[in-house]
Amino acid sequence: MNRSLVILLGALVLCAALLGGSYAVSRRVCQNCMSKSASDLDWLQQEFHLSDAELARIQKLHEGYLPKCAEMCAKIAAKKSELETALGGTTNVNPVAQQKLAEFAALRAQCQAQMLQHFTEVSQTMPPEQGRRYLAEMQRLTLGFHEQTEQSMSGSTGHEHHH
Amino acid sequence: MNKENINSDPGFANASDARLSALLRESRVSPALPPRFQEGVWRRIEEATAPGKSTGGITWLDALAALVLRPRFALATATVLMVAGALLGVREGNQMVKQDAQARYLAAVAPHSLR
Repeated sequence: MNRSLVILLGALVLCAALLGGSYAVSRRVCQNCMSKSASDLDWLQQEFHLSDAELARIQKLHEGYLPKCAEMCAKIAAKKSELETALGGTTNVNPVAQQKLAEFAALRAQCQAQMLQHFTEVSQTMPPEQGRRYLAEMQRLTLGFHEQTEQSMSGSTGHEHHH
Repeated sequence: MNKENINSDPGFANASDARLSALLRESRVSPALPPRFQEGVWRRIEEATAPGKSTGGITWLDALAALVLRPRFALATATVLMVAGALLGVREGNQMVKQDAQARYLAAVAPHSLR
């Protein structure tokens, strides 16, 4: 092979290695440095530029909300287990399973309402503009998921609603 | 006296120069040309005057390789690549940390069963 070609290919490989190596090292260093204080509220403080006082108020709300959330999650898990038992081994949806399904949905709705209430309270402790942005973002992240699923299913199955 | 006469006679001097030249020409040995000498000369003239023929492709590769091997150029390129890689890495790392932190907050306040 031509000597110049070998030199150029070697230089290209070296360039790629330098670029890739410096990229990987700096990414790793950045991740290690920034994830040292891994608190649940880090994202809020960074994303919504909160002061220490605002963060302290949100921290209090957050700590008050977590036990309620855990309690509701436990109730939902128990109801889901009951629903699975009612559905187990049957080929049709019996009245008991329907009842459990309704209770399960009601619990979920109650839990979601509680969650949205918490988001509203948190948003009210922020500066108005950041609060609006936080509320919109949280609604998008927690409720938007179902919208996407429904839209994708209605699009893929070809269902059309005529009014 | 006689010597002066000889030197001052231009006809004699010219005749003697012509004879000397003839003698020198005869004494010079001209070597035999190698086989197909003329053809080779023409081929080399054609190669030299035709631009971008077979040798042209190699020329720019050689020039590029010579440039790459210059220490100053190599150092500048390496520096630029390392800085660019570091900047991209920091940007990507920040993005990943932000996504992790967002996922951690969401997992705390909105368990997956609610989303």
